[in-house]
Order: sequence, then C-alpha cells, then structure tokens
Amino acid sequence: MSFLRIENLYKTFGQVAAVNRINLEIAEGEFFTLLGSSGCGKTTTLRMIGGLEKPDSGAIYLGDRCLVSPEKNLFIKPEKRDMGMVFQSYALWPHMTVFENVVYPLKLRGIKGRDAEKKVAEVLGLVGLAGLEERPAPALSGGQQQRVALARALVFSPKVLLLDEPLSNLDAQLREEMRRELKSLQQRVHITVIFVTHDQIEALSLSDRIAIMKFGVFEQVGTPEEVYFKPATPFVRDFLGKTFLLPGKVSGLSDQQVNVEVKGAATAQLVLPRSNVISLANGFLAVGQGVMVAIRPEQVNLSAGRQEGRTNVVEASVDTVLFLGDRYEYTVTLGSETRVLGSPVSQGLKSGDKVSLELKPEGMTLWSRENESAQ
Amino acid sequence: MAKTETFRTGTQARSWLPPLDGGTAIMAVLIGFMGFYVLYPLTLIVLNSFNTATIAEPEVYGLGAWREAFAEPGIWRSLWNSIKIGIVLQIIALPSGIFISWLLARTNIYGANFFEFGFWISFILPNLATTFGWMLMLDPSTGLINNWLRSVPFLSGLNFDIYSFWGIIWAHVMANGISTKIMLMTPAFRRMDASMEEASRMSGASPFTTLIRITIPAMTPVIIVVFLLSVIRIFSSFETELLLGVPWGFYVYATKIVDLARQEPPLVNQAAALGSVILIFLVGFIPLQRKLIARRQFTTVTGQFKPKIIELGVWRIPATVFIGVVVFLLDVVPVLSVIGGSFMTRFGFFNLPKTWTLEYWTMALSDPRILQGLQNTVIIAFSAAIFGAFFFSLVGYILVRTKYPGRAILDSICWLPSAIPGVLSGLGLLWMFLGTPFFRPFYGTLFLLVIASVLGGITLATQILKANFIQLGNELEEASRMSGAGFWRTYFKVVFPLMAQTMVLVAVLKFMFASQQTGSIILLATSETRTLSLLALDQVAAGYREVASITVIFIMMMTLGVAMVARSFGLKVGIRAS
Repeated sequence: MSFLRIENLYKTFGQVAAVNRINLEIAEGEFFTLLGSSGCGKTTTLRMIGGLEKPDSGAIYLGDRCLVSPEKNLFIKPEKRDMGMVFQSYALWPHMTVFENVVYPLKLRGIKGRDAEKKVAEVLGLVGLAGLEERPAPALSGGQQQRVALARALVFSPKVLLLDEPLSNLDAQLREEMRRELKSLQQRVHITVIFVTHDQIEALSLSDRIAIMKFGVFEQVGTPEEVYFKPATPFVRDFLGKTFLLPGKVSGLSDQQVNVEVKGAATAQLVLPRSNVISLANGFLAVGQGVMVAIRPEQVNLSAGRQEGRTNVVEASVDTVLFLGDRYEYTVTLGSETRVLGSPVSQGLKSGDKVSLELKPEGMTLWSRENESAQ
Repeated sequence: MAKTETFRTGTQARSWLPPLDGGTAIMAVLIGFMGFYVLYPLTLIVLNSFNTATIAEPEVYGLGAWREAFAEPGIWRSLWNSIKIGIVLQIIALPSGIFISWLLARTNIYGANFFEFGFWISFILPNLATTFGWMLMLDPSTGLINNWLRSVPFLSGLNFDIYSFWGIIWAHVMANGISTKIMLMTPAFRRMDASMEEASRMSGASPFTTLIRITIPAMTPVIIVVFLLSVIRIFSSFETELLLGVPWGFYVYATKIVDLARQEPPLVNQAAALGSVILIFLVGFIPLQRKLIARRQFTTVTGQFKPKIIELGVWRIPATVFIGVVVFLLDVVPVLSVIGGSFMTRFGFFNLPKTWTLEYWTMALSDPRILQGLQNTVIIAFSAAIFGAFFFSLVGYILVRTKYPGRAILDSICWLPSAIPGVLSGLGLLWMFLGTPFFRPFYGTLFLLVIASVLGGITLATQILKANFIQLGNELEEASRMSGAGFWRTYFKVVFPLMAQTMVLVAVLKFMFASQQTGSIILLATSETRTLSLLALDQVAAGYREVASITVIFIMMMTLGVAMVARSFGLKVGIRAS
C-alpha cells in the first residue's frame, strides 16, 4: 500500500484544465518533487493534497484513508489532514513572536505549557534558530522567516510536509545553503516531503523522484538521474539542463547499434547503442529516416584541430568565445548549424579556428525529427 | 606647504534659517494663509471664552463665561451625552463593521460586489436624509413601522420611539455608523495575504478560529485607524441629534453650542467656553492619533496576493441574507420612506379620504424658498469644489514634491480641520466675520458659506491629492525638467494633466459634502443664504414634514446624482484605507 496515492485527479479553472487526470503514488519517507514552469499545475496539485483546493473529480488517499473524492462526496478539511505546509511567502503571522508562531499548531492539539515549550525549542534547534523564541516575526530576515515557517510546519510531527517553492524568495547563496540543510533535515526527521519548484537544480539535487509537469499532466516521473539522462519527451529533455542537438539521418541499423549521419558534416558518423533511442513517432526505425541526436554538453569533448575519420567526432569551427569565469563558452558552426558549448580550459582558441567535438556514445540519445520544433 | 583645505569650499555655515528664495516665499505665504484660515477662528473661540461681552462689542475679559457655562448642568450633560453616544455607537458599529467587511472581502457570500455598492450608496446618502427617513418610520405616533405593529395582534404592545437615546443610536448606525467603517476596512481585508489564513488552516485551526486568532489581529492597524477616526467624529455629529434629540431636551456637544449661540441674548461666550474644552482635548489628541496612524508596526499587505475565498458552507445563505437585510435597512428603507412621505397628505396616515397627493410637489417646485435654497446649495458646492480642487492640488504638490522648509507645519495645519467639529469652525468663523470690522460686510453672504465649506474639506482634499502625487512618482516630472522645463511649466504641462482625474475626484467629493453639510454653516446662514439642508431642518422644526421630504429628496438627488455620474466615469468616489 503506497503512502500517498493520487487517482485521476482533475481540476479546472474556468475552461482551463489546470490538473488533467494525473495518477501518482508516493512512498513513505520519499522526497518527491513536482517540477515545471508556472501554470503547469504543480502548485494546484500540492494545494489539493493539502486540502486548500477541491478537485473536480478524482481522489487522494493517505494510507487507506481517503482525503477527498467528489464522487463519494468526501472532503477532509485542511485542518484535519495533519500535514505541515510551508508557503512561498512563509506566511508568518506578523502579530506574533517566533514562539507564538511555532506553538500555534501545538495549542490547537491541546499541547500546552512545558511540553509545548520543549517541542518548540527542539524544532527551532532542528532548523538552526535556537534561542530566537521571543523575536517578533517581522523582525526576522528572509532566511530566518523561512526556517520559522519550516519549524511551524514540523513541530506537530506531521506525516507529510508540503513545500510550495520555499526557496524562491531567497538570494542565491542562501538558497544553496538552505537546499543542503533541507535535504539533511528530511533525512534526519524521516518525513515524506512533497516539494514544488520551477528550479531544476533544486529538483535534481533534493529529490528521490521528480515529476515534470506541463499543462496539468506528467511528462515524466522518475529519479533525478533517470529524467536527466533518459528524458522521455523533448520537453523534459530541454527543461532539464542544456542539450546539444544535431539533426541527422539514419545510415545504418543493427541489433546493437544505430549509425547516424550528421547533416551538414557528411564525414561525421555517429554510432550509438540501440537502447538510447527514444520516442520514435511510429515506434519504428528505418535507414534514411530523419532523426535528432541529443547529448548533454558536458559529455561533449571539444579539442583543437581536426581529427579525420574517427567515429563520434564532429568537425566544427569556432564562431565566438566568451569567458564566463569558471568556463569558456564557444559558439561553433557545423555546416549550416550553430551551437553553443562550454569548456573549462581555454585551449587558446579564437574565432575561425577548427575544432573537433567528441561525443560520448552512452550520452547520446536519438529522437525522431517530427517531434522537434524547427532547429 | 599646501594644506588640504579645499574640501571646505563646498560647505556653508550651518544656520537654522532657511535660505531665502522663491520656495521659502511661497511656503511663507501658504503657511500664513492656511494658518490664518484654519487657526485664527479657533484661536478666537478660545480667546473669547475669556470675554464676557458679546460679539461685536468691545471685549471685557473675565472668567464669567466659564463660570456660568459650567455652573449649568445642561452643559456638562451635553458633553457626557456626546461621549455616551460615542461609546455605545462604537461598541455596536465596530464589531459589526469588522464582521461585515470580512464577509464581503474574504468569504464566498453571494453578490458581494452588489452589496459593496449598497454600502457605498449608504456612505454617499446624506445623514440628514437617512435620519429623516427613519424618523418617518419610527415616530412614536405616526411612524409607519409603529402603525404596522399596532395592526398586528400580538405585537401591538411594541412601540418604537425614535426620539430617544436608542433612537439616536439606531439613526447613527443606519446613516454612516457602519458604512464608513466598511468602506475603509473592506479593501484592507481584501488585500491581506491569504497564505496567513491558509497556514493557520494547515496548522489545524478551523475557519472561525482563524478569523479570531489570525485575520482580525493581523488587521489591527486598520481597525485602530478606523476606531481613532470615529473617536474624533464623536463631537462632530449634529443633524441626527438636532432632529432626534432636541425635541425632548437631549443635547449633545454640537447641538448645545448652537443652542447657546441662538439664545436671546446669544450666549456665545459660554458656547466658546464649551467649544474650548473640546478644542484643547483635540489639540492634544490629534498628534497622538497621527503618531499611532503613522507608526505602521506590521504590514499585512504583500505584493503577491491571492484573495482566497473562505468557503462558508452551510452559512453561505444565512450570511448573504443577513447582509441583504442590512443593506435593505441602510438604503431602501430611508429612501422609500422619504419619497413616500412627499406624496402623502399626512405622513403615516393611510386611512384618509385622499392618502396620496401631488400638492406638495406642485407647491415645492414653485416655492421660491426651495428654489433659492437649491440655488444657494449649487453655488456654494460648486465654488467650494472648483476652488478646493485647484488650490489644494498646489498645496498637495508642494507638500509631496518639494523640499521647501516648513512642510511639516503646513501638513499639520491641513490635518486639523478634519478633527474640528463643523459647529466649532462655524462658531469661530462667526466671531471672525462679525467681530472684525474688515470682514463684517461679508457676514450674511454666500461667500462666507463658501469659506466655511472649503474649510471643512481641507484634510480629505490634501490627503487624496498627496496620495496621488506619491503614487505618480517623480520620473515623469524629472523627465520634463531634464528636457529643459522649469517648475511652473512642468506643473502646468505635465503635472496638471496627470492630476486631472484626481482633481475631478476631489471636486466631486467637495461638491457632495458641501451640498449636505449643516453644522458648519448653521450659525452663519441667513434665511436668504440658507442651503437646502438648513431649509429642510427649518421645515421639520416648523412641522412641515411633507415639504421637508421634498427638500431632502432634492439633496439626495444632488449628492447621489453627482456620485453616480462620477462613478460611471470610473472615479472611485469614497475613502480608501492606505
């Protein structure tokens, strides 16, 4: 029995289906992220889990308890769901101190006096704010407010923690710090976390599994490595990290391998494992078919000069070079196409120089041409 | 050896006198003028409380007026009556206002927009009209509701008497008591960050607990502002107590002052003594109020707001009905009552051979007194509107955009009139114009009434215009200056057109308030310069209720008409919490 189960969840706002019949099972103790750009339905899904929105149809189960089902006329109110939630704006109550903010859920559950004080002190210690009980909420910095919001959500030991873009209002350095602390916290407390974000780095670094959402549906659900190295759709592939795309044609097929001739650089032959072929429109690969080869830029090795005749090496020439501090950014032309690549070392390259791009075969994935927008 | 003294060339000797230039000159003129306009009449009141000779006589200084005033129990009682009414009214109106604002702004009652419009109408409706309308309904002998109660078998023991303490309270609640608060609080409630309430729900609190422990405390700054504004108005209320209190000898502060001034011989010095008491209180209270309002301890307004509507569930229909009833009582009942009153031969008497008649209307439309009252009202309101809009836009501009010295003083002077009861300014102006030979020829003219009208609206006008300037931001004008235009050209070519809409708003507001005011002009008007409101009061005093209905209808039509036209042009005619 899965811990949290979502069945055919459907929610419209006016004419638009914000959440379009999604299904999901989350295991206990899992750090699960809903990732997507704004308007994809991730926050709506989170709010439905918490009870702040009601679905039009579908159901949500926690263990064997049904939280909501319009068909069965069942709706458990948010205050009865026993889930902790951290809002994007933190939503600390400005007329209360840190202590009063954090003790609020305890008082509602009849925990008072010394017991309550102990629990508050414990959870404030957990988030690194020990001793700040008497501070009025508005007198806190952004990072401190976020930790108090977290403490308030955890103090009553809920089974599920819902986080709605909690790091997006922090500056870059604080965000990185909080990311690490959040991960460590989750592991210490053994709590199931559902995390909503549009930031792919947060999603990749924190999650056990990620669901990438677009227009109210899941494009892909998988572990961070899965969705990054083996994206299921072009949207997922392009949403996470950068992609180096090369249009080409199938020039040879075998059980193990596919040979692709890269357009505009007729001497470049790419050989990649058959298992790296993804989402063909007709599920069928044939010689002469137009395809797209995709690879993560970090798996492309750029070196000066030409290397004739080697497989998985593409010739290109340098257009512009930009120095970005921790790396160099090269714009290269291959035939009629232009691509951008990064490389940590200078190699003394300048505009007009010839370079070789070595593509690692296990990093290449093959896509059908029809699904792509004009490259 | 060259010493590094060169850095000193930029500094001047520090003097506490501001540099003399055009800006200082303008400020000196403005402060002088406004100070004189606002403060001189008030000073006269205090001074003349120590004067035992009457107006226009040579002064005889002594404590006689103070002694007589406070030997007489009626005067103490009038002060206490004002306070009593103020307290009871707040106890009823403030919680009701909070509750209704919350219902309108944060829950899913049906027709919230429609009801908000209803409360806006109630705010616009002149106090005189609502009080008069309810007077017709709850008069102990002829009131419509009482008549109806008598005809119902098991309710015939009930008889409401509007000429009572609770009648006055009722009239206040029905007039502006709650609608003002709702106008001020609803936008603030609406702007509150919904996540705070959601966080409370997720922590385990029910919607009701959330309302009590989160929503209302977070709204405390707004509630305090509303409360303080109401406290200041305690001593200003006039028409309601004139209509409903004086007939049975119940006086409050404002009606007592007028009563003293109208005695034969006029006890104006005692009126001045009574006036001074509250003046001294207000002078101490206003800085405190400003400090409390200015000190915004916590802001609940965030940039990102999702006004999450709270689901009322089974309470949705009862709550809607409740608000519907309130709006009905506030708007429909008094208006219908007044309209009905103008068509009845004798109001409240349905059994006459001829119950309905047009005779009062035909009389009224050719009655020279009504026509003159109408003319006076239009002239005064219009002049006050035009002058107010132009003059105070300049004042507002100077207060916000310039760094001229003395702006704090000017701002304080402009804040004062809102706290001063209209009757007091009237009394002060009376002294100023009768007692000073230079001004005496103006007594009894419309000009004097225009002056009184403009005086009453200073605070609102400057506050609105200041807020608008602040909101517009500097950059448009700075662009003009960078392009080469000087102060005045920038003002007329850039600022003025941008301000046009706000100035129209200010003009409309001044027009509306000038056309319904009574307290500030009752001591200054003559039978030729009477406005419609004063005429209506005289007609009621003389017992001509049916004709008074018609006069009141004219006032209602003027105010409502102007407000509706402005609203249709998109002007938010009303008050907003900042």
